[in-house]
Amino acid sequence: MGEKTELLQGTLDTLMLKTLASMGPLHGYGLARRIEQVSGNTLALNQGTVYPALLRLEQRGWIRSDWGKSENNRRARFYAITPRGRRQLIRATEGWQRIAAIMGRFFEPQQ
Amino acid sequence: MSLRALFARLFSRRNRRSDVDIHDEFSAHLEMAAAELRAQGMSAEAAEREARLRFGGLTQQQEAYRVQSRPPLIDSVVADLRYAARQLRRNPGFATVAIVTLALGIGATTAIYSLVQAVLLRSLPYGHAEQLVYLYTPIAHIDQPVEVFTPSDADAFDIRRLNHSFSSMALFGQETDNLSTSQSVQRVGSATVDGNFFSTLEAAPALGRVINAVDNRPGHQHVAVISHSLWHSLFADRPDVLDRFITLNGSAYHIVGVMPREFQYPTNNDLPYGNSGVGTTNVWIPLALTPQQAADRDNDSLNTIARLKPGVSREVALSEMSAIMRRLDTLHSAELRGWGAAIRSLPETTIGNARPLLWLLLGAVCAVLLVACGNAANLLLARAAARSHEFGVRATLGAGRLRVMRQLLTESLLLGGIAGVAGIILAWFFLRLLLHLDPGDIPRLQEASLDLWVLLFAAALVVVTCLLFGTLPAISTSRIHLIDTLKSGGTRGTVSGQNRGRSLLIAGQVGLVVLLLAGAGLLIRSYTKLMSVKTGFAPSTVTFNVALDARYGTTQQRLSFFRGLLEKLAGIPGVRASGAVNFLPLSNSGSMTFLWVDGYRDNNKDQLVEDDRVTQQYFSTMDTPLFAGRFFADADRAGSPPVVIVNQSFAKQYFPGQSALGHRLRTGGHPNSPWETIVGVVGDVRGTRLEDTPAPQLYSPLWQGDAAGAFVATRSSLPPEMLVASIRAALRAVDPTIAAANIQTMGQAIAVSTSRRRFQTTLLSLFAGIALLLAVVGLYGVLAYSVRQRVPEIGVRIALGASRARVISMVVRQGLRLVLIGLALGLAAAFLLVRFLAGALYGVSPYDPWTFAAAPALVLLAALIACSAPAWRAAHIDPIEALRSE
Repeated sequence: MGEKTELLQGTLDTLMLKTLASMGPLHGYGLARRIEQVSGNTLALNQGTVYPALLRLEQRGWIRSDWGKSENNRRARFYAITPRGRRQLIRATEGWQRIAAIMGRFFEPQQ
Repeated sequence: MSLRALFARLFSRRNRRSDVDIHDEFSAHLEMAAAELRAQGMSAEAAEREARLRFGGLTQQQEAYRVQSRPPLIDSVVADLRYAARQLRRNPGFATVAIVTLALGIGATTAIYSLVQAVLLRSLPYGHAEQLVYLYTPIAHIDQPVEVFTPSDADAFDIRRLNHSFSSMALFGQETDNLSTSQSVQRVGSATVDGNFFSTLEAAPALGRVINAVDNRPGHQHVAVISHSLWHSLFADRPDVLDRFITLNGSAYHIVGVMPREFQYPTNNDLPYGNSGVGTTNVWIPLALTPQQAADRDNDSLNTIARLKPGVSREVALSEMSAIMRRLDTLHSAELRGWGAAIRSLPETTIGNARPLLWLLLGAVCAVLLVACGNAANLLLARAAARSHEFGVRATLGAGRLRVMRQLLTESLLLGGIAGVAGIILAWFFLRLLLHLDPGDIPRLQEASLDLWVLLFAAALVVVTCLLFGTLPAISTSRIHLIDTLKSGGTRGTVSGQNRGRSLLIAGQVGLVVLLLAGAGLLIRSYTKLMSVKTGFAPSTVTFNVALDARYGTTQQRLSFFRGLLEKLAGIPGVRASGAVNFLPLSNSGSMTFLWVDGYRDNNKDQLVEDDRVTQQYFSTMDTPLFAGRFFADADRAGSPPVVIVNQSFAKQYFPGQSALGHRLRTGGHPNSPWETIVGVVGDVRGTRLEDTPAPQLYSPLWQGDAAGAFVATRSSLPPEMLVASIRAALRAVDPTIAAANIQTMGQAIAVSTSRRRFQTTLLSLFAGIALLLAVVGLYGVLAYSVRQRVPEIGVRIALGASRARVISMVVRQGLRLVLIGLALGLAAAFLLVRFLAGALYGVSPYDPWTFAAAPALVLLAALIACSAPAWRAAHIDPIEALRSE
């Protein structure tokens, strides 16, 4: 595996919301794997980190969870995004795009 | 964190995770990860290892997860609490003293508060008790308390008809009845009530119905409503009680209702001039006035109770009632005019006179609690000084002042919490003790319990207490000077402001103790003075009360009953004398009559005098001394010339400087009534209350008058229990349906009439004693600590030649300086506050010099004892040891 990128502070929540929004309900492992896959396995992310983050999102009412059966028939907790979570995702996405645009402007070749 | 998220974290179960949950979720994750790796061709073992590796520190994540799932702050609070508990365990002596001190204060305060709650704050068991009032019709020119003048029946009916202020009005009488069963006869408190009585009080029966207007019609009046306690004692709570009868005064009454347990109106506290033989009312029967009685305008034997309409004030009602009474006054007989109006609140009448006592006790016990807080604060300060090094290190490592204060307050709260629990347990015992000391004349005292309100009060008390004793130490300790801590080499820290704080605390405590001691001293002096007054009767005389019923229809029958009873009593072996009187001293009863003294210059037609009827041997039975003339004789009977005996006060007032014997007087207010001749002068008797100086008093022979009830006194050499049994047998022999009520010695009557004073004095003395003890312990603690701190200094002094006497005087001076400041504070406070006690004093001035000298002297003595041990220790410091340790 090549060099890994540290996740920017505060972006994990948004990544998780985005993933849950596009994939539908996922268990913790599925979520962690999906984030790794989308990033092309270049993020330095301990899979365990998603759990405290998931609990935090749930406490804020952005996702909800329920026990269910995994694909290989194990008992697993599934997380799904809530309407409030979708609104939060829109806000976070806009914020991120603004920052990305500003950052981009700094690093574009000077005219 | 948003408020919502905080709430979610604090309160939502869904948003927490149990350890089992976390474990399940994580192991599911690891197995799924391992399965995927195995599918990629890894060995089982390698897959498992790789899965864990990717998960990243299992325990670490679990902990992060747990922290996230806990409410915020809890972590550090739990840590603070754990640390505080460890601190307390490390100093068990300190913790024990502080907890015992505080528990004592909290327990005593809670117990006294439960009395306040039961007596003053819990509402009376009638609907909207605050609307209930008594009506009185005082005659302005007769010098008697307003509450003596209840409206006459005709006036009451007219007020009821004419007023617009009262929604309801009722008349009732208070009586005692002989209640007989097949086995025994007893005297019960009863009330004769009209059809509005229960509805005015808004009292509903527990069973059956109440007395109504129909019951008050002639021929319907043999129905009765009984109390819950009578239902229990006579009928064992049986529901078929409504088909049964009780026998009152020899007649059968059909039971139509049972009142709930808490309804006992009127009790001995409910009426200003109630029948002292009635503790609580057990039977209610119809008043059933005859038309002649209802039309009586000049006699006032019934009580009138009314309920104010909502929104009508007592003032408005009074002005209307005054106007009505002005119209009714002209209808009264000419010699008795001037009837006015007065209204008194019922709750105020019932509980009003218990209020000063209870507030006094609550105030005193709060002073004790403050002294206890002072001690706890002092202990905390001393310990904080010992821990200043620890706090210095904490500050150096970056602990903020608030953080240190929080830790200290947590420790205080833990102490206070433990003391609070112990205090509530103590309060339970204290309350049992208080109820045991019950003086018997405080309404509803026996209903005091540690109910929800009292427990809430105790909880609030704990919080306030913690703030009181914890704040000063927390502030002064957290004021840490880093430089000083470091300078002193980290071995001994200095915490500024501490010694001043502790001195102030001691001075304050001593002040409170002086205040309490002064109060207790004044009450004790009053009590001993009262106990040494000449009562005018022998405490060993046994008395009881009998009441005759309608079967004794004529004067002849009534008098022969008493004659027969006295003969039977005289026949008991060992009985030396026996006599009867219609109103016994200290029985809260009496009768007044108008008086005209022949040859007295200042006679006026409203002149009243106490007037009792007695038998020949009454005075010798009571051991009341004869000063001049003779006692009544057998010859003083109906038909013989009317004679009277007067007391010394009477003789002094009406015949100053001469003998009263042979003078004539007239009673009853009728200009034509026959002259009565004074044949004897007897000693003064304390009649109404032990505290009241005797007023002029007349006695006339019972045989020349009449009595439907009387007190019978017996003097004998027999032990009281044997005498009581013989008395009951004698009464049974004369009439088995009449009960001997209130059998007691005159000594017991004194005890009953002084019981409230004893209650007050005992408790205040107890509080003062506890406070003194606590303050002495506190002073000792401060001095002992100060000596320990100054060991090197004192060592140097001794090495330089200071004598032991000098060291001792130095320590004692330090202690006494604090005490003297406190004494001054306490005496000043006492001077300002004792006037509130004036009403409770007897025979001493509120500024009694003896008390004001003795209280500080006692504190000073106690303080010297507290100083002596530390002083002795200081004087015996070995200078070499002291210097070596430096």
